[in-house]
Amino acid sequence: METISNLWLGLETALTFWNLAYCMIGVLLGTAIGVLPGLGPTATIAMLLPVTFGLPPVSALIMLAGIYYGAQYGGSTTAILVNLPGESSSVVTALDGYQMARQGKAGRALATAAIGSFFAGTVATVLLAVFAPPLADLALQFGPAEYFSLMVLGLIASVVLAHGSLLHAFGMIILGLILGLVGTDVNSGTVRYTFGFAEVSDGINFVIVAMGVFGLGEIIGNLENESTRTIMSKTVTGLMPTREDVKRLAAPVLRGTVLGSMLGILPGGGAMLASFAAYTLEKKVSKHPEQFGNGAIEGVAGPESANNAGAQTSFIPMLTLGIPSNPVMALMIGAMIMQGIQPGPSVMTEQPVLFWGLIVSMWIGNLFLLVLNLPLIGLWVRMISVPYHFLYPAILVFCAIGVFSLNNATFDVYLMAIFGCLGYIFRKLDCEPAPMLLGFILGPMMEEHLRRAMLIAKGDATVFLNRPISATMLIIALVLLATILAPAVRQKREEAFQEEG
Amino acid sequence: MRALKLLSAAAIGIAIYAPAFAAGYPEKPVTVIVPFPAGGASDTTARMTTQKMQESLGQPVVVENKPGANGSLGAGQVAKAKPDGYTLLVGSIGVYAINPVLYKSLPYDPIKDFDLLTVAVRTPNVLVANPNFPANNVKELVEYLKKNPEKVTFASSGAGSSDHLTAALFWQKTGTTGVHVPYKGGAPAITDLIGGHADVSFQNLGAVSNHIKAGKLKLLAVTADKRNPAFPDAPTMEEAGIEGVEVYSWQAVAAPKGLPADVKGKLEKSLTAALNSPDVKGKFSDIGFEVVASTSGQFSEFLSQEISRWKTVVEAGKITADQ
Repeated sequence: METISNLWLGLETALTFWNLAYCMIGVLLGTAIGVLPGLGPTATIAMLLPVTFGLPPVSALIMLAGIYYGAQYGGSTTAILVNLPGESSSVVTALDGYQMARQGKAGRALATAAIGSFFAGTVATVLLAVFAPPLADLALQFGPAEYFSLMVLGLIASVVLAHGSLLHAFGMIILGLILGLVGTDVNSGTVRYTFGFAEVSDGINFVIVAMGVFGLGEIIGNLENESTRTIMSKTVTGLMPTREDVKRLAAPVLRGTVLGSMLGILPGGGAMLASFAAYTLEKKVSKHPEQFGNGAIEGVAGPESANNAGAQTSFIPMLTLGIPSNPVMALMIGAMIMQGIQPGPSVMTEQPVLFWGLIVSMWIGNLFLLVLNLPLIGLWVRMISVPYHFLYPAILVFCAIGVFSLNNATFDVYLMAIFGCLGYIFRKLDCEPAPMLLGFILGPMMEEHLRRAMLIAKGDATVFLNRPISATMLIIALVLLATILAPAVRQKREEAFQEEG
Repeated sequence: MRALKLLSAAAIGIAIYAPAFAAGYPEKPVTVIVPFPAGGASDTTARMTTQKMQESLGQPVVVENKPGANGSLGAGQVAKAKPDGYTLLVGSIGVYAINPVLYKSLPYDPIKDFDLLTVAVRTPNVLVANPNFPANNVKELVEYLKKNPEKVTFASSGAGSSDHLTAALFWQKTGTTGVHVPYKGGAPAITDLIGGHADVSFQNLGAVSNHIKAGKLKLLAVTADKRNPAFPDAPTMEEAGIEGVEVYSWQAVAAPKGLPADVKGKLEKSLTAALNSPDVKGKFSDIGFEVVASTSGQFSEFLSQEISRWKTVVEAGKITADQ
């Protein structure tokens, strides 16, 4: 009963004219920056923070939240259309989404992403409304040992991302791990592998690597053979998923939603893993794993649902505990502080209008996004038919602006250029960048949690097996590793590739 | 055509005119560099103060975040900027007092490269523990530490952070030891403290006050010179029997060395007025910050005290964070 009266209070708040307007501005802006490569929600929210001072706190947070999940939405558009993942979560969407676009199924991929995201957003909002406090307590159970084991699981699962040679995938993961070492060591404060450049002393930003390796690498590759690219755009078939598509994507959307909702709650980068995990799961349960990487619709539906669900549930630790689960949430906490609200467990009881208004607004925002994006698909799809020599300079400029906006540093733009060259070399060598990116994201976190867990356990390595959550994840990782390495499975993998030929 | 000529003549005129007569300062927007990401304590301080400064300066004051290398990247840029009053720095105790004693090569020297303007705000640190931790006050904690050397975990917001050094200072003053567990920033450290994965921590009062009120963290002492009105039951370190562990986190404003005297005067006046205005003061106190608004002379004196104090702690604790 209480939940219903709370939701009613939220509806009353969220449905006022101004709050609806701010919600709409937020998601519109979010979609726009999400679509523009490189410009991410973190930079946008940081820039807009001063603007929100003049607004009432509820409206300010509704708008900022709209920017955040709107950007998750828009990010997949660029990933699908031009293979440019601006957010870590859209890296996997690019894998199959871009392949679908190349086959003329861009509209279906975009619609799948939109519908999956809406469904996931709705479920996650309900979760947020009903279970926020107990879920937040569950998140607190995750200590360094649990996070380490989760990262191990993630890293092993990342091998599945590759659809080419297993050896190449391992090599790329290790390269990613090495790149992740650059920067300040958390434990000792020692700076590693920066070659004297203070600009990378906090590590290399993910967006720089992703923009360079995916975006610029793709551009160079496309310019090399522009003719093949124009062919692809001429054969756009159907904007909406077919009935068969819908049948294929229902289960992945459900699984992605569950997985994303769970991982999103974890403050230590869980949401980042959500889309990767969903992709891995889909490929594992699929009857046609060989289609993954070649335009499998499940490979878009699962991860997209997962990342949107994760984006919603990552509000849980922020709203109920005052704990930011990612840089965007840290900014939201900053915005609350500026408004004179102390984020923490008391927000729910002392500011019910803010808490419930925000939650209900997220669902309304998701609805906005669906209504906004479905008609836009036709427009987006036409975008690929723009001749590439007009399109790529624009993409380049937006990438440069986006990367610059991270730290207001030109150094980052040069760094992106270097990664662009690397990305081109990887293409030539048939090395897929996705496993490298996952290694790059997971490596530093894994190291951090491993060393912290060992520090707290006074050097006792059994801590990873003594804690049930940690042990469970290590066992799953072991099983997964076995299935990957089992010769029979490997044989099957190779056969699958030859079929694709 | 004539209008264009006139306009360009005027423009040249202004360009020549500007540096000679700084009395016209400010004639264009002032940039405030915050060497940390948006949303942190330095950023909040800068944004709250500059909003008010715009009114007295009559020009926009723009906050620009230049994060990196514990704040030394942005601070280094300010040190190299032109001392014309159009580039200012809002930095923390770490930028001004701790980085200089911790790092051998730093792109700035806080005393030689900056005209120190004012210590804007400060907030006391507090010693907090997970509610299930056996010790309920400082005395019990010291006894527990002595019985269990190298056992109790002290979470901090990073190697070489002010809370790390406060823990080191605490060990030195009480003759105890603990395990330092650094995190990437205060938030994950507080999360693990609440979750019981780490035992105790020194944190900014503002960052943990709500968790203390909600009973998720146990407040053992404040590292201030007097009790905090929000938590009147928590003793100061000195009342708890430990001298010399009085630590504040502070945020201060500086400019590149060599500001023209009138520009400096104008900035100081505008800063003090903004910081002391009732609404800004009220907003700061809402988030647990206390407005200091010291003069530049007081800032210089205070900074040399802070530097020499942390130097002793770093040397005694053999703390290194080499570049």
